[in-house]
Amino acid sequence: MELKQQIRINAPRARVFAALNDPVLLQQAIPGCEGLTEGEPGHFEATVAAKVGPLSARFKGNMQVQDLNPPVSYTLVGEGKAGPAGHAKVRASVMLEEDGSGTLLNYVVKADVGGKLGQLGGAIIDRTAQKLAGDFFARFEPLIADPATATADEAGATAVEAAAPGTTRQPTWGVWYFMAAVSLALAAWVLLH
Amino acid sequence: MENQLKENTQWMGARLERKEDLRLVTGQGKYLADIVLPGMLHAVFVRSEYAHAKILGIDTSAALETPGVVAVLTGDDFKTDVKSMRQPVLLPNLPAVYPEYFALATDKVKYHGDPIAVVIARDKYTAEDAAELVIVDYEELPVILDAEAALEPGAPQVHDDQPGNEMFAMTFTGGATEEEQRQNEAEVEAIFKAADVVVSNRFRVHRTGITPMEPRGVLCEWTMADGLTAWITTQRPHIDRLALIDILDVPGEKVRVIAPRDQGGGFGVKAPFFRENVVIAHAARKLGKPVRWIESRYESLMSVGQERDQVNTMDVAATKDGKLLAVRNRGIANNGTGQTGVYWGFVMPFLGQVEMPNVYTWEKGDVKLRVASTNKACLTPSRAFGHFPTRFAVERSVDMVARRCGLEPSDVRRKNMIPKLPYTTVTGEYYDSGDFLKVWDNLLTNIDLPAFRREQAALREQGRYIGIGFACGAELSGVASELLVPMENQPGYGAATVRVDPRGKVMIYGGDAPGGQGHETTVAQVVASTFGIDPKDSIVTTGDTGATPFGAGTIGARAGSYFVSAVHKACADLKEKITHVLSHDLDIRATVEEFAFINGEVIYLRDPSKKKTFREIVERIIMFPVNLPEGEVGGLEATAFFEAAKPMICFNGDFCIVEVDINTGEFKIKRWVTSEDVGNVINQNIVDGQMHGAIVQGLSNAVYEEFIYNEQGQQMTADFENYKLATAADVPDIELTYASTPCVHTPLGTRGIGEGRPSSVPGALSNAICDALAPFGVEITELPLRPSSLWAKIKAARA
Repeated sequence: MELKQQIRINAPRARVFAALNDPVLLQQAIPGCEGLTEGEPGHFEATVAAKVGPLSARFKGNMQVQDLNPPVSYTLVGEGKAGPAGHAKVRASVMLEEDGSGTLLNYVVKADVGGKLGQLGGAIIDRTAQKLAGDFFARFEPLIADPATATADEAGATAVEAAAPGTTRQPTWGVWYFMAAVSLALAAWVLLH
Repeated sequence: MENQLKENTQWMGARLERKEDLRLVTGQGKYLADIVLPGMLHAVFVRSEYAHAKILGIDTSAALETPGVVAVLTGDDFKTDVKSMRQPVLLPNLPAVYPEYFALATDKVKYHGDPIAVVIARDKYTAEDAAELVIVDYEELPVILDAEAALEPGAPQVHDDQPGNEMFAMTFTGGATEEEQRQNEAEVEAIFKAADVVVSNRFRVHRTGITPMEPRGVLCEWTMADGLTAWITTQRPHIDRLALIDILDVPGEKVRVIAPRDQGGGFGVKAPFFRENVVIAHAARKLGKPVRWIESRYESLMSVGQERDQVNTMDVAATKDGKLLAVRNRGIANNGTGQTGVYWGFVMPFLGQVEMPNVYTWEKGDVKLRVASTNKACLTPSRAFGHFPTRFAVERSVDMVARRCGLEPSDVRRKNMIPKLPYTTVTGEYYDSGDFLKVWDNLLTNIDLPAFRREQAALREQGRYIGIGFACGAELSGVASELLVPMENQPGYGAATVRVDPRGKVMIYGGDAPGGQGHETTVAQVVASTFGIDPKDSIVTTGDTGATPFGAGTIGARAGSYFVSAVHKACADLKEKITHVLSHDLDIRATVEEFAFINGEVIYLRDPSKKKTFREIVERIIMFPVNLPEGEVGGLEATAFFEAAKPMICFNGDFCIVEVDINTGEFKIKRWVTSEDVGNVINQNIVDGQMHGAIVQGLSNAVYEEFIYNEQGQQMTADFENYKLATAADVPDIELTYASTPCVHTPLGTRGIGEGRPSSVPGALSNAICDALAPFGVEITELPLRPSSLWAKIKAARA
């Protein structure tokens, strides 16, 4: 299975790159992630629960960051076993480009899926992968969004043929907090002058 | 039935309704899954999810802790407690490199689906759930899937004890010694050099086979008193029994194998001896309780029913007048792991090369085969055993020769058809009797070929493309011992016990287990015809080793050829005795020929007033054996064995007419006509049914079905969503015609039919498509026949 997408994230490139390699943040962003720990730097172990078509799978696996080239690109290589449901090997190439105040994130994911999961057929696996990717970015972006540049309409994903639902942006608490802080600061300035 | 008895005392050839059908269509069949024993446990297998991997460890603790789970067995239990599967009784007498293997995988798994462990629980749901808790630690190994690549040096080795991945190799022509074979090769090469016409092609047939409606199952029970009783969905219970004796090391008097009375199809898939038989038998012995395994469709599609999968590089030399001179073939078969008993996968491609010359008078042949081990499921026998790909290659080649010579393909076939039998082919196959030309001429009466060609030309003007395609095939009618002993280490004779009871009913016992072919009906008709009674008064019991004479199994169209001949022979022996006693009672001197057994009576032909009813005379002999003629003793039971003097065949010719849409590559079969030599017919409905079924299976194989493995050796077609079968909407009306010649080697002139029958289908169909697309020069050399690939060929040709 191969998945290729481009997403725009409203955060500077360096921040996006760092966040993508941050296990605390990743654990929150990965849908169904029940635990993610970093052993040696760049080596992660994770447990992720996912539903692929009719099969519920709990993947236990490891991932390794390779070819680390901050803040531009890296490769993620991983493999996981999902018990009776099967197994998967994944290779993701991630490349970041600056796009104004934000970042264009390009990724190519290649996966070999085997066992019962693999026999579901490409269509189901592709759809599930797209949905998981969409869910991931829907959770990831608010976690790292830059309060100074985030607005309700700018913060949109430009995914190619994304089947991911629910990507409408809600202003995050961070934004409200900032706006409240700005209002207070303005008020204070007015009062003090 | 009463009326039929008076009007039709000749049951041979009748269109009798099958005796089996009423119980089958009213849900009263008794299949393996219907057999329930008290205290029965249920087994579910844990199977490999990798095509090739070392087993580093198996953690069964979670499964064992599940309430209701009684045991979990793994390969180690079978390596030590039970012998290996490689026992002499399961080895052909052919020079192959047989890998060692056990009932469950040990050390490593070799195909996606390889059985690793078995979970046994009080109910099947618990067993299924617990099987998912078994954790296997694998170390993946490189996967080898392509047969030709497997034979290359440096390829990943499937079996540690089979370096080079070559399961089997043979030269089928020229002679026994290498020198003779080389000499033959040179002579064949000389023919090719001098020939006017040479067609050379690489023919590829995909992995496909037969999917019986009922998957496999095994139920075993061990008791102190009776030892092992094993119910198995098998075509050959007597052979299975021997294998169980040898592998489990049990004395033979303690082993009984029963094939259930009703089976939902075998078609060869239930002919091998499978590892699951040993696993379940051993589990039942160890646990002291009956254990049953019913295969799921998923398991079935992963593990059995996969055959064909051959590449045949074939050269044909001919004169410009279309006279076939020589055929040179290099076959390469993709065997999978080779781990099934009796066949080891390679026996099918072996026979495929033997049967390749078909019915043509080749001057010489140069035929070689190599069979490669790969990380796929082992080939299992499938109807049209081994020769589906070679028949396709030959029939396509003949059409190409015809096209090169500017001749009608049907004329080229007729010109080269063996004119007189018996005949021995260049690969040493013996054709016993029949009239191929009669069958072929009969076929051609169903089409006005010149008119068709005119219609074809006219339609081409309109941009429509129709075509006609021919094919033919000589198929095995039973398998003679002289072939079966080398091929499968088993005898080919038919055997039957006939027991008459004092009420005039006749019981027949046969050791071969049918899978739905209607043996109960066919045999009853033979008995009725011989004894002059009604078929309903004849009961046939098959498949129980405790009750039937030894039979190698329901394989290779043995029933109509060997089994019924043995039945007839036993009946004939009893007729001798009956008429001997009757003559004595009537105080006349008469031989058996002077009596007619008709309408339930035994009548002295010279004086029809001298007669007795069948029931009276048999009761007298069995129950009141006094005043018998000198040397006679009471009782009426006979066992007879039948071996034909020579191996036997049946023959068919087909044509079909198709229309091809050149814009989509789709094709529609407008007509399918057959001409068959089936020898003397016992039940016409059953014979017709065999032909319909075979042609449909051939079409389904050629067009729809395909077992697909991805590059990691993951099998992707383990359900009917992905493994497509033809449906009723996909198949044409089939017009069956017959032009039979009685077989000279069987007492009733009958032939065994139906086994090889699908093999001429891909040739006829692809020949018709190529005939339709002749203006584009499209030549089909690969199966399956998909509209998408046809469309691509048409597009390329039009560019």
